[in-house]
Amino acid sequence: MNRVTKRTWLMGLFLGILLGGCGLFFFEYLTKGPTWVISPGSPHVYNNGNLGCGTVVDRWGNTLLDLTEGRKYAADAQTRKSTLHWVGDRRGSISAGAVAKYASAMAGYDLVNGVYNSNGLGGVEQLTLSARVQNAALSGMLGRKGTVAVYNYKTGEILCAVTSPTYDPDNVPDIEGDTTGAYTGVYLNRFLQSSYPPGSIYKIVTCAAALDCIPDIESRTFTCNGKYAYGKEAITCESAHGSCDIKRALAVSCNCAFAQIAELVGRKNMQKYVSQFQITERLSFDGVTTSAGKYDISDTGAASFAWSCIGQHTDLVNPCRFMTFMGQIAGGGVAAEPYLVAQVQSGGETTYRAQTSYTDRIMSEALANKMKNYLRNNVEVTYGSWKFPGLTVCGKSGTAELGENQISNAMFAGFCTDEKYPLAFVCVVENGGYGAATCIPILSTVLSECKAVLDSE
Amino acid sequence: MTMQTLLDMLMQPFVWLGELLAPVAQWLETALGGIPASFSGMDAAYENFYISMVRYACPILAALLLLRCAMPLLTFRREPEIWAWLVMPGGERVPVTHWENVIGRSKSCDVSIALSTVSRNHAVLTRYDDGSWTITDANSKDGTYVNGERVNICALQDGDVISVGGVKLKLKVITRQQEQLQSQLRTRASGPIAGFFNLLLLTVFQVLTMMGFAVHDAVENSVMVLEGFGGIILAQWLLYVFYLVIHRSSFEMETLAFFLCSLGMAAIATVAPKESLKQLIAMLVGVFVYLLVGWSLRNLERAKRVRYLAVAAGLGFLLLTLAIGTEYYGAKNWIIVGGMSLQPSELSKVCFVFAGASTMDRIMNKRNLIAFIVYSVLICGCLAIMNDFGTALIFFCSFLIIAYLRSGSMGTVALAITALGIAGILALRVAPHALNRFATWRHVWDDPFNKGYQQAQALMCIASGGLFGVGPGKGWLRKVFAADSDIVFATISEEWGLLLAMMAVLCLCAFGFFAIRTARVARSSFYSIGACTAAGVLLIQTILNVLGTVDILPFTGVTLPFVSNGGTSMVASWGLLAFVKAADTRQNASFAVKLSRKVRQK
Repeated sequence: MNRVTKRTWLMGLFLGILLGGCGLFFFEYLTKGPTWVISPGSPHVYNNGNLGCGTVVDRWGNTLLDLTEGRKYAADAQTRKSTLHWVGDRRGSISAGAVAKYASAMAGYDLVNGVYNSNGLGGVEQLTLSARVQNAALSGMLGRKGTVAVYNYKTGEILCAVTSPTYDPDNVPDIEGDTTGAYTGVYLNRFLQSSYPPGSIYKIVTCAAALDCIPDIESRTFTCNGKYAYGKEAITCESAHGSCDIKRALAVSCNCAFAQIAELVGRKNMQKYVSQFQITERLSFDGVTTSAGKYDISDTGAASFAWSCIGQHTDLVNPCRFMTFMGQIAGGGVAAEPYLVAQVQSGGETTYRAQTSYTDRIMSEALANKMKNYLRNNVEVTYGSWKFPGLTVCGKSGTAELGENQISNAMFAGFCTDEKYPLAFVCVVENGGYGAATCIPILSTVLSECKAVLDSE
Repeated sequence: MTMQTLLDMLMQPFVWLGELLAPVAQWLETALGGIPASFSGMDAAYENFYISMVRYACPILAALLLLRCAMPLLTFRREPEIWAWLVMPGGERVPVTHWENVIGRSKSCDVSIALSTVSRNHAVLTRYDDGSWTITDANSKDGTYVNGERVNICALQDGDVISVGGVKLKLKVITRQQEQLQSQLRTRASGPIAGFFNLLLLTVFQVLTMMGFAVHDAVENSVMVLEGFGGIILAQWLLYVFYLVIHRSSFEMETLAFFLCSLGMAAIATVAPKESLKQLIAMLVGVFVYLLVGWSLRNLERAKRVRYLAVAAGLGFLLLTLAIGTEYYGAKNWIIVGGMSLQPSELSKVCFVFAGASTMDRIMNKRNLIAFIVYSVLICGCLAIMNDFGTALIFFCSFLIIAYLRSGSMGTVALAITALGIAGILALRVAPHALNRFATWRHVWDDPFNKGYQQAQALMCIASGGLFGVGPGKGWLRKVFAADSDIVFATISEEWGLLLAMMAVLCLCAFGFFAIRTARVARSSFYSIGACTAAGVLLIQTILNVLGTVDILPFTGVTLPFVSNGGTSMVASWGLLAFVKAADTRQNASFAVKLSRKVRQK
């Protein structure tokens, strides 16, 4: 019996393993618990990859998404549609990374209480978006595909970033069964995830490059008779612009003049300035990263190079990046980086508050001021400043040709120079036709809504 | 197929019983339906208020319960019982403190005589239930003599003189009066009043838990949960009253087991409320098996006879599974009978403990050990064919415990380890999914959406629950496979907090601690081996389940005793607990230990 008794120490070994293992786990819980909670797929924090707890509101506190009881969207259909790409759908087809980024701050995690908080509601995430502007912008798109976005280049707040097509998450249409093409790419957030041929808005890049690297560029004149030939190939304008200087060439968007300007700038400089202006680079904010742009002039002929300087050839730009570029010109070479999430409050505390961060300086203040002057001239001379009442808008339109039998994409990019309304914007309407004709009515409404929002704050 | 028909026939009475009980359940549902219905209109604010209270109240109650029930198990005074004296030639009286006592030269003998003429293990002096004594020679060199005659095995009377290696020992058996006095002077296990308060605490805990689900859940789910918890509460009080009637006072182990069952019910309530009644029935069967095994252990002679039956049944269960079993998730360890799915390998564990437990006179016999090894290898073979890695591991560990407790030398253990090691490698070879588990061990975050999914989800949910949980029915882990069985620790941790989940582990540790402590005062090695092996199996299952869930050890998918949703596992857990209970020799503590004569007369 003694022998058996003594050997029961073996049980102590098992007890030791169990208690030691539990101790080790508790140590891991203390050190790694916070990481576990916010790991992708954590069910208390995420829902199909999107945010799974708390409430998301717009800049005025209007509820966009309520996750306290299931996944409840805004009360009105228009807001549900206009903000869907930022808050995500129920199935996780639309990836709403920026909102989900602050899931842990929303969950209000702590080691003692986990994600439990006494009101059981989770936090409140406030976006910089205005539902009012979003809705106006979506209406303006008239169901056409594309994106409209406006941001404050002094603070970085994105007031509006609408993507079309979209749908009502509370009344999901038959997307998979659709044959009309109405829902092609509906899950994409075009503002972030698309890159478009820029068309003539790219002349802003070429113009700034020319102003910077050719000292006497403003005194030169260029002649346009509707066609500028390179052997068999040619750069064409819709009509002959006659003789014009660079400022007028930009205002009337003369392709022939810009072909000549491109020759003056040269390939090397063009590449240098595209790189310096960061036009093709990705942009990241709130945990999301935009698609990249493209500027590829290797193995191109003279005509193709000329086209590349007026936003055709194989050029691509991302709307968010180009909007930021507009902000940088407006801000004198530097702008605030855009962001979407203003703050997160959880359990009575502010667990996250956005801070403005600034872009690199991409051009001298003098050059930026000159560009402002030129772009203002565009509006005054070509588009009509009366279309933007109460705002000093500068900008450039673009009509990006897509190839045979396709209606061009309508583009417009610009900014306001008013001290009270530091807004930079971009507008893309796929197959929208002429840039100015299609985009200006949309922007006119959207910018006046933005103005109203800023006025009321 | 005929076997299946036979089994179906055997199960028919249970099916009928179920049908008979159906109207009762129907009536209960209507009667109980009113309770959750009265809550369902409750404002969410009230629900949140209730949960915010309960999430602190439950761990406090559980801690009190654990303290009150586990402490007596860990700290009771270990007073050896004296059954006889051996009077040495010089008049010196050596107390005989067990029912089985090895006499020999070795220091580890119960009666150690340091003379070269005495063999290392010379003879075994055994007392029986009825107070009779025998001496068995353990293949000694010079033989054992009783009253001058050489004997192999011989019944002894008070005053007989045993002679080992020339040393004469006179057996002086204690008188009835002495025996009565001894049993009366033994420390009492905590009395019926303490038991009552413990059970009251547990009931409050259960009611709070149950109401947590009632305020949150849909009415129809709540009724099922109420039935489940209500059944446990009823069962525990009935058992308590039964103990009072048979003059047994210790209810600590049972209270802890019912506490664990309640946690299991809480997991089922959130994961699969429809199964709460099934689990309750399994628990009732478990309690019945507990009483049955305890009863068979009460009389050592009976236990030794039942042992043969258990040995046959243990192997029989496994062979039956191999013959007509169904394969789930790569392991062929289920039998579907009469619409119920059973896992007979769980019951084989209880039988295996029976097979391993043995009295000292037999332990000294080499043939007995070889028979046990052969039996173990047979069992292991069955498990390898069944491809059930988790169960094989538990059997292997329990074999190690038994082999070590029983064997005279480490050599035997080494041999056994080698043999089973080979079997283990074989098992691993035929079970690539077992190897997969080793591959993901400590790497669950490399592939949290696929291979490491269950554990990664479990860890996220444990952390989300914090120390006090997110509240009943508010967890997300329930969506994950086996949330109420293999990873039930995480489910409880998520909804009720890590503190409560850890307390469940401590409960199971208490059983293990008790088995170690009580071994010293056990009467027969049959009981101490039985208790240690049974507690060992409970501990190993806890180790594999809990530490596997949280990725400290490889994930093997075994059940957590008393907690996991699974009928056969529940029955087996209670069956194993009976062995621990049978080793409790505190005064009037255990129903599995006979009362002394006088107390019985009272």
